[in-house]
Amino acid sequence: MNYRVTIAAALVVAAGALAACSNNPIEAVKEAVKSDSASVPGLPRSSSAEGARLAILSPGDGDVISGPVTIVFGLEGMGVAPAGIDIENTGHHHLIINAGMPEMSLPIPADDNYKHFGGGQTETTMELPAGEHTLQLLLGNYLHVPHDPPVASEVITITVK
Amino acid sequence: MIKTLFIAVISSLFVATSSMALDRSPSAEGAELYFISPKSGETISGPVTVIFGLKGMGVAPAGTDKENTGHHHLLINTGLPALDLPVPADDQHKHFGKGQTQTTIELPSGKHTLQLLLGNHIHVPHNPVVASDVIEITVK
Repeated sequence: MNYRVTIAAALVVAAGALAACSNNPIEAVKEAVKSDSASVPGLPRSSSAEGARLAILSPGDGDVISGPVTIVFGLEGMGVAPAGIDIENTGHHHLIINAGMPEMSLPIPADDNYKHFGGGQTETTMELPAGEHTLQLLLGNYLHVPHDPPVASEVITITVK
Repeated sequence: MIKTLFIAVISSLFVATSSMALDRSPSAEGAELYFISPKSGETISGPVTVIFGLKGMGVAPAGTDKENTGHHHLLINTGLPALDLPVPADDQHKHFGKGQTQTTIELPSGKHTLQLLLGNHIHVPHNPVVASDVIEITVK
């Protein structure tokens, strides 16, 4: 009895799969993109370690700073590796300045809002214009793609005098 | 004549073997290792979280040979090891070959000295050496 139910279920699933394949393949990709951007084919997302945490060790949230800002990156539960190096449980730092989290399934962009530390650096000193700024750290894999699940710090706000 | 030849052979063997000594990678000028935590003189109860600071160079896992990178070693109650050999691996010389930038360790009660030392892809200290100041902490 169970045997027949199993066979029937398998046939239903197979039929469904075949039906999906015979549909317009472009529609299938659009569905995939809508449901979960991580399933867009082509870009591997590396797994992060369970319990991995990123934190901005300095400055603190709400700090007021004169002159160049030294930002120190803290990573717990994973290691740092330079960009291009594909080793399990490693990644390299990215600093997001006055911007939100980028697309998770693509390499993190490289511009004034998204600073890459592909040399494995664990801190930086930078000039920021006077005023308020938000800062957030985001770990990326060897291709600069965020891990799955993403390893990101809290967003902090600082004021530069 | 034979004596000259003999001296020449021995000298060239000497040169050859000294060039087989382990590669020390150059460190970047101005590179600095320091403790983000704990601070020297601190008294700590329970496990000690040590956070490693590195300026001017980057972290790479052991085995990865990339310019201006290295991985951390924590020296506990011991001095700097031989600089032209891989840092030993034992209770006093902890390796962080997976690129970790912090650790939490249990230390027995009492005073302990801590020092950070950067090593290259084969755990050999850079040239010039990149090492932190020695700090002293007390575990309650």
